Amino acid sequence: MSLSLTVNGKRRTSAADPVTPLVDVLREEFHLTGAKPVCREGFCGACMVLLDDKPTPSCLMPASLAQGCEIRTVEGLGAGDTLNTIQQALEACDAVQCGMCFPGMVVTLTHFLTTSPRATRDDIRAALTGNICRCTGYERIVDAALTALAKE
Amino acid sequence: MTASSQGEATGTFYVAPSLAAALDTLNDYGPDGAAFAGGTWIMRAPIRHQPLKTHYVAIGKIPELTVIRIGTDAIEIGAAVTHAALTAALTDLPEFAVLAAAAGRSANPAIRAMATIGGNLSASDFSAADCVPALLCLDTQVEVSSRDGHERISIDAFLKRRSTFAPGQLLTKIVVPRSGHKTAHSRLPLRKAGDYPVAIVSLSVDVDPTNQVRKARIAIGSVEMAARRWERLETALVGRVLDPALAADIAADLADEFTGRESVEVPAWYRVRVLPGLVRRATAAALGV
Repeated sequence: MSLSLTVNGKRRTSAADPVTPLVDVLREEFHLTGAKPVCREGFCGACMVLLDDKPTPSCLMPASLAQGCEIRTVEGLGAGDTLNTIQQALEACDAVQCGMCFPGMVVTLTHFLTTSPRATRDDIRAALTGNICRCTGYERIVDAALTALAKE
Repeated sequence: MTASSQGEATGTFYVAPSLAAALDTLNDYGPDGAAFAGGTWIMRAPIRHQPLKTHYVAIGKIPELTVIRIGTDAIEIGAAVTHAALTAALTDLPEFAVLAAAAGRSANPAIRAMATIGGNLSASDFSAADCVPALLCLDTQVEVSSRDGHERISIDAFLKRRSTFAPGQLLTKIVVPRSGHKTAHSRLPLRKAGDYPVAIVSLSVDVDPTNQVRKARIAIGSVEMAARRWERLETALVGRVLDPALAADIAADLADEFTGRESVEVPAWYRVRVLPGLVRRATAAALGV
């Protein structure tokens, strides 16, 4: 039986095994390669997507359990050609380095900005506990989040 | 090769609408099936070179398993309550500081929103589970359900039996008595947050107005393969004034009863060596100093 998924507002179907990690369906079948399967343990956050607006490591989410949820990947966060607030701030702060962790960072921070409008630097650091940057570029990322918060 | 590239779907994933439906289905699947709560342990089975089951029964949407009831004598926690939900529910209950810290500081925010307390207790090969020592020190009882009814047992008994339950038996509820004791949870991850703790000390102490210990329950996690009580330390503290430095000294004298587990993260001896320091921190936290 095929799986029915709603990804970035579009209905998609997949014939994957129900326990297939969502990240594999997103990447291999739907060619949404923003989410990265890096650690596959929920530690690194590179595969983070929004599931009903909650940051969720898609490596640990069986595709079948994502049915009925609104899945948003990094590809679906902006409005058309316009970057969202945190994407703009990350670009303005020159925070992007190798790009491996960045889709996950953007997903986590997109959610965080909407739920924690008065966040401090420490709050942002705590929120990013599950997003590891191997380039260790954390300070500019946190600066960008503070910049984005100041604009909202 | 990923599961999605292996061709036609072979497994099944049943989202149980009720506990009765879950128990029936688990019973029918037998050894080919298993309950699926948060999935943060099961989904990593391939990394541990363990096979996935053919059939899973998702229990995360069963209403009675996702409820926390805070009573005057005890709190009852559904087995599919997430770490995040548990942390939020315990915010204003200082006697459960140990459990709030265990649930609220493990892993990272996204994992805490997925991982369940029942999964934490049931993953018998997960040595670094934070909630296990916390619940051990709180004198917890758990309820195991099957088609034939419910059985309430101590958490100590559950931990000994958890890998032997029949396929149709499911951990459904955790019952923690309200004692009014001072409690604390001290853990040492290699980084400040986000990874597994090297060692965990969970502590619950009943003290008189002069801080003399009347009763103590202390549990150690992540040091050995399974969490367990540190009964010699509990006995040694009774009758003494609770003092972080003294507790650490006593712990140092008694720590040789532990045999640390080997892992790639740290050598076995290190897990034992840090215990006195963690006892000191837990004691200080319980005293609020």
